[in-house]
Amino acid sequence: MFLKYALRRVVASIPVLFGVTILAYTLIYVTAGDIVPGLELNPSIRQEDITRIRHNLGLDQPPQVQYLNWLGVGYVLKQAGAWPGEPSKGLLEGDFGTSIIDGTRVMDHIRDRLPNTLELAVTALLLGILMAIPLGVTGALRRGSRVDHFMTGLSVAGVSIPSFWLGLLLILLFSVQFKVWGLPWLPSGGAQSSYNGGDALDRAFHLLMPAVVLSFAYLAVWSRYTRSSMLEVLSQDYVRTARAKGMGVRRVTYLHALRNAVIPLVTLIGLELPGLVSGAAITEIVFSWPGIGRFALQSAIGHDYTTVMGLTTFVAVLVVFGNLLADLLYAVLDPRIRLS
Amino acid sequence: MSREARTDAQEKEFDRFLDLWSRRQFVRNMGAAAAFSVVALGGLEFLEACGNATSSTTGTGGTPKKGGHITELMFSDMQTFNTTISGDDRSTLAQIHVYDGLYTINAKAELYPLIAKDLPKLSADGLTYTIKLRDNVKWTDGKALTSEDVLFTYQLMWDPKYKKVNSPRRSDLEEYVESITAPDATTIVFKTKKVYAPFATAQLQYGILPKSVYGSLTPEEINSAPANSAPTVTSGAFKFVSWKKGEQVTFARNENYYRGAPYLDQYILKIVASSTAILDQLKTGEGDRGDLDAATFDNAKGVDSLQVYSVPQLSFVFYLYQLDKAKSALFQQREVRQALLLALDRKAIAKAIYFNQATVANTSMPPASWAYNKDNKPVFGFEKAKAESLLDAAGWKKGADGIRADSAGNKLKFEMLTNAGNKVRENILVNMQQVWKDIGVDATPKFVDFNKVLVPALKDNRNFQLLLIGFGWSVDPDQSPVFHSRNAKVGGFNGMSYKSAELDKVLDDAVSTLDQKKRKEAYFKMQQIIAEDQPAPVLLFNNLIVGVNKRVNGVVVDTFSGRRTYLKDMWVSDGK
Repeated sequence: MFLKYALRRVVASIPVLFGVTILAYTLIYVTAGDIVPGLELNPSIRQEDITRIRHNLGLDQPPQVQYLNWLGVGYVLKQAGAWPGEPSKGLLEGDFGTSIIDGTRVMDHIRDRLPNTLELAVTALLLGILMAIPLGVTGALRRGSRVDHFMTGLSVAGVSIPSFWLGLLLILLFSVQFKVWGLPWLPSGGAQSSYNGGDALDRAFHLLMPAVVLSFAYLAVWSRYTRSSMLEVLSQDYVRTARAKGMGVRRVTYLHALRNAVIPLVTLIGLELPGLVSGAAITEIVFSWPGIGRFALQSAIGHDYTTVMGLTTFVAVLVVFGNLLADLLYAVLDPRIRLS
Repeated sequence: MSREARTDAQEKEFDRFLDLWSRRQFVRNMGAAAAFSVVALGGLEFLEACGNATSSTTGTGGTPKKGGHITELMFSDMQTFNTTISGDDRSTLAQIHVYDGLYTINAKAELYPLIAKDLPKLSADGLTYTIKLRDNVKWTDGKALTSEDVLFTYQLMWDPKYKKVNSPRRSDLEEYVESITAPDATTIVFKTKKVYAPFATAQLQYGILPKSVYGSLTPEEINSAPANSAPTVTSGAFKFVSWKKGEQVTFARNENYYRGAPYLDQYILKIVASSTAILDQLKTGEGDRGDLDAATFDNAKGVDSLQVYSVPQLSFVFYLYQLDKAKSALFQQREVRQALLLALDRKAIAKAIYFNQATVANTSMPPASWAYNKDNKPVFGFEKAKAESLLDAAGWKKGADGIRADSAGNKLKFEMLTNAGNKVRENILVNMQQVWKDIGVDATPKFVDFNKVLVPALKDNRNFQLLLIGFGWSVDPDQSPVFHSRNAKVGGFNGMSYKSAELDKVLDDAVSTLDQKKRKEAYFKMQQIIAEDQPAPVLLFNNLIVGVNKRVNGVVVDTFSGRRTYLKDMWVSDGK
């Protein structure tokens, strides 16, 4: 049952993935065309060289041919002699091929940066959850109180303060000014010290500010969700029944009500899973964090087709997987929900 | 909220990208024609007036200490250690630490021998360059670096069997090189097809690759070889330690470096996301050296731990007039082109937009070049009245709507293009719009996509009336790419379609002699013709701003910041 459901969802996602890759390819083609990244405007590089490199990279092919080459269809048809040019194996190589800018395998690029991104995003996610749920519950239990108002203010701030602004502000204060004042200061960027860095403590120091900034937005949204969902659940009959049976407030609140109240939150967090990889881009840029989001942006600006396509597909797979995971978690949390 | 943030970040990225290509040029093709004429005579003495390049050596002096590190901050990651396929300045910066070339460039813009024993010996006809290699150069695996390796490296870029190697220099080498031979283990001979002055400066500085590593690979494999991202066998002052993509590249001292081991334990290139981050990290001491925005010059100057330098670059900001009659009838008269330039208050632009880290241009030749003529005539100051009288005299009279028109009824009304997202250029165009409006010219700025609109407008379809852009030059003063009529063809950089038989001849003569004096005369003439004709007025020469921590000694900050003779001589006073 469970497996069948999961399998069906995976199969159903295949057209979605194709759609995503076609859309991504179209977008990058529309913005970049057949430009050879980084070479077009160098006065010492001649048109002949650009043309030759463009040909070597297959950028002189029509977009649909390039797309099919990327998929690996071109390579298969080439074996049958029915395809122009000299297509690479594309996706058939299994790892998104090589970057057209630096010749490195796209998967290697992802592997290099993914741990950093996960480190940042998971920390932020945990910080967000750990703070959002208690805050949301408190807000619901003490509706209209000072704590609740404070929470509301914090949420509005969290949603409306741009993360890049908050990040820059924290850097100015805790890195630059603290250093000037002679206080212990936090590193302003990167995942570790460039020289003799990399131990757990060093990384933790580097992680602190970006993780707080990233979790701030999570915190704001999730605590509101928890609050309203909790309010709704608390007003339901079974909660009153439980209380009438003589069950303690705490037990009712945290064991019965909360479990149901966090269901919508699970969806949200499930949807954040792909965001774990891509959604931290701005924070990564502000803190020079060597992660996937910053890399994706750089690749897009550099018109690195293969890398952008690889990253897009990778993230699309994560979206599908994240949604699936959220659905499955539903069933665990709420036995009334049946997978069918 | 996040969309705004993203746009901001993209702009920074974009500026960085532009910065990258505009500065790439002189980093890639460093050379010194100045030292060159001496070479032609077979001598080795330094030429006295070799340029206007300025340099400062960092630190307070004292006895160098062994140990410690320097972290240099850069905007974007390098791309490859393969010297034959790279075209970006960050890669070059990384490569020079591990792969020495035959030559590099010093602060005086002179050719500086690395693997080569001395400057090239030229044959009497100026066609053959014979270069002796040092006999003590060793790869890090202990084997000797010989002429075989040099020959192999150049074959990758030149030999027809390596056409699949993505070298951006092939056409140049094919046009000028007749043959490359290695008569013995320490001699390499380049025979050129014709006398071409920029040859040595442009082509003799690529890092030499180990044949033992790349020799067995196919051309396709060379484009994505493992050694491109993790070199194992190297020859430079430092050894490769690691490249964490998007994070940092780490190098460690090469104890057996043939010119003597460096003082530093490590040299680190750290990749940060923006110029703001560079300034922050310089302030906190997380980084020791980095390029800064002109806007932050004063701010950085106020930091105790920093030395801040503003050095001239071989680049400029200019705008192109559409001179193709079929596309525009407005700029055919020289008087119109001159008048528009006269109406601009470029000192004000330098002050307001470049924070005084730029100088007003009176010539197309950057002041850091040896061919720069500081007394170039005519000079175009800020003379609004003269601009108006020039336009009146040329037949462009103000109409009832205040806009000038000629007798045929053509209004002096046009669009000005530059790339959207580059705030500096956008601001310049807005300034031009305002001041030209005062003299009856209706110019509208239009900010367009860089790759999809601006580059094709400049190089291919030429669909523009006026276009503003920046440009970077190599050490050699040849400005043919922009001003020679042959480059008005599709793909060339003469986007204005400027055709002057007189200038073409001057440009051709200038590259076909190795006589420094004659070349200088030619380039003085070139600067004069361009100033008179003003096909594409150069507005300003913008400086490079470099911040360096005071603990750093022995770094030479100069115009040619990407080529370094001093790698082994850098040290840090705190030994950390």
